Amino acid sequence: MSALAGVLATAAAMAIGVYLVAAMDAAASRGLGIGGAVALPLRRGLALFVRPRARTEHPDAEAWALAPAALAGLAAVGLATIPLAPGLSVADVSAGIVLFGAAMALVMVAAFLQGWAPNSIHPMIAGYRFVAQALSYEMPLALVLIGAALPAESLSVGAIVESQAHLWNAIRQPLGMPLFLVAVAGLAFWGPLALPEGEDLAGGTSAEISGAARLAWRVARLMVLVAGAAMTAAVFLGGWHGPWLPGPAWSILKTVAVLGLLVWARHRFVRVPIERFVWVSWVVLIPLALLDVFLAGAQALWAAP
Amino acid sequence: MGVRSALATLAAGAPTPAFVLAGAGGRWAAEQLWLEPRIAPALSPRAADALVVVGYLTEALLPAVILAHDQIPPPRLAFQWLPDGAPDDPLAGMVPGVRVVEGGSLVEVVRDAHAGLLAGRGDGHGDAWPDVEPAPWRGIGPYGQGGKGMTGGVPYGRPLTGRADDRDGLKLDRLDVRVGPVFPAFPPGLELIVGLQGDVAQEVAVGENPFEGGPASGGVFALALRKAVPIAELEVARARSHLRWLAGALRVAGLPSLGRRVLALAARAGPGDLDRVARLRRSLERGRGLAWLAGGVGSAREDVGGPVGRAAGHASDARAGLAEYRALGFEPLVHEGGDALARWRQRVAEAEQSLRLAGAAGDATVGPLDVVEGPRGPLGPAPLLELLPGLVAGMEWGDLVTTVVSLDLDLEEAAARAGVPA
Repeated sequence: MSALAGVLATAAAMAIGVYLVAAMDAAASRGLGIGGAVALPLRRGLALFVRPRARTEHPDAEAWALAPAALAGLAAVGLATIPLAPGLSVADVSAGIVLFGAAMALVMVAAFLQGWAPNSIHPMIAGYRFVAQALSYEMPLALVLIGAALPAESLSVGAIVESQAHLWNAIRQPLGMPLFLVAVAGLAFWGPLALPEGEDLAGGTSAEISGAARLAWRVARLMVLVAGAAMTAAVFLGGWHGPWLPGPAWSILKTVAVLGLLVWARHRFVRVPIERFVWVSWVVLIPLALLDVFLAGAQALWAAP
Repeated sequence: MGVRSALATLAAGAPTPAFVLAGAGGRWAAEQLWLEPRIAPALSPRAADALVVVGYLTEALLPAVILAHDQIPPPRLAFQWLPDGAPDDPLAGMVPGVRVVEGGSLVEVVRDAHAGLLAGRGDGHGDAWPDVEPAPWRGIGPYGQGGKGMTGGVPYGRPLTGRADDRDGLKLDRLDVRVGPVFPAFPPGLELIVGLQGDVAQEVAVGENPFEGGPASGGVFALALRKAVPIAELEVARARSHLRWLAGALRVAGLPSLGRRVLALAARAGPGDLDRVARLRRSLERGRGLAWLAGGVGSAREDVGGPVGRAAGHASDARAGLAEYRALGFEPLVHEGGDALARWRQRVAEAEQSLRLAGAAGDATVGPLDVVEGPRGPLGPAPLLELLPGLVAGMEWGDLVTTVVSLDLDLEEAAARAGVPA
């Protein structure tokens, strides 16, 4: 695939994914019908786009402009590693999950910049919060991806999907997917882990932005969510494997189902306080993620000829 | 029709993001705007296109409201809704473009103006105050910061961080900030002066009550001090008050859509909604997420009366001494623990109990009474505001907000209560 086609394919997939989440969330939060839910993100996006950007006193202007672009770029890199079907990918590199993990680790930088840049108290606290949150979900994120790579004997996302031809990782490694979903919610600061966007911080990282900058930040966060959901579908739900339908359709359906689950969780669970989340991460989630890796390793040894 | 106006028409279909502020007498009308699908209450002025002030402003509230107004990106809209028979309000004189709306047409007026704003038809206006530094640059110290060494001083009138011991015995930057009186997660009018280290509130003081000296609010509870009122009316008002509190608390806890449903229930709750409220209570008792959020947070063990006191196991309730209530089988509900979680559960359980009492009371009346048990405790001096700084000092910011919300403060009522003999 040429570079330009890859960029366009990633952008198109992202645009559709982001719009879909926004529409699902509109339907869930306002009880809209399909027509209203599909129109609302467009209306809101336009209403933001025509409004001016806010100025704060002595902001770090470069960092403020960079933060949403960086977040969007990282999400796009993450999505690019995920194949829709065998051979149908932008960058199914041999170390795909390492590239995904590296891109997601840098999300912390983008979110912290967004908190730091406006020179304002609530975004700043939100930035601190995100660092504490990221240090807590990143270990489980990396560990369960390693666990998923073991049966495939490969770090490539395509090979991991191929290894699930007969049994999904969600069943083979029952701890993996729930832990990964927690990490995805943390990555995109979404729903119960929307700590840096909380009402208790007047919107946190979004508290000082308006107009196109607000739209860009919102879209970039949803892009991270889409990348995370697509990775969940590929690594735990068997990607393109499935009966009757063509492979890409299964990849897309599974990604949409994961996004639906994440939207449901957002309207079902209260926001978790940061200190409890850090505690639970280090005391419960990280040991569980280690256990997941050990069990996957034991299974791999058992299966080895 | 050109492309631009077609796009503006499409954009005008989006709900109007509005920074909604409650002045005196406007708290519940402001809350009702959360139920309005054409308005999207914003969490910060930056996220809004319009300022909507509901109720009267006091002189003490005015500077904060004007600051919020000027933080909305210009051109912006500003509205003030006043109940009929309004006295002159100071806002219109301070903010040139503010539109005063009386009666029921607020949402329509806001929507029309917003469509004009998005189409670029010049409906918006600029700043109320000049955009200048609040104090001159002082130019003292090696970096001109106005203090000694690298820290301290107040350049441009803004205190720089100083150093102070934190809760782990380390010396860390400490920043003094004022949050409120228009902070959306706080009850209207509450201002906290917070010494922040990172996201930990080392030291907290409560600012002046901006409603102090305002007119005493009425309501059925105050009426019971003077004459006989139906028990059913008192108890329905109590249940609605608790449910309205719950709706706001759910919103701050990150569940705005559930909060909206509870708010709709609060607006019409009566004895017929007993089952619905009972289901709500059970689901909140089962839910683990709430225990995570509020369990062990902000424990107040003192007998301060009202739901806060009863959530700490003190069965003090002015209703328990009344023969009319004993005839209905009333006994005060209590919860153990005294933390924010116990207060959540206490209020929801009391809402259910009140609806049951209202259903059983028939036409029975009570009063005039010497002591009336309101939704926040006996009418009279309210001790919760004095309790607050000690309760939240040393807390992480999110826990502080959870604690403040769980106390169900009403500063307007507190200001009016100061005049009511205990």
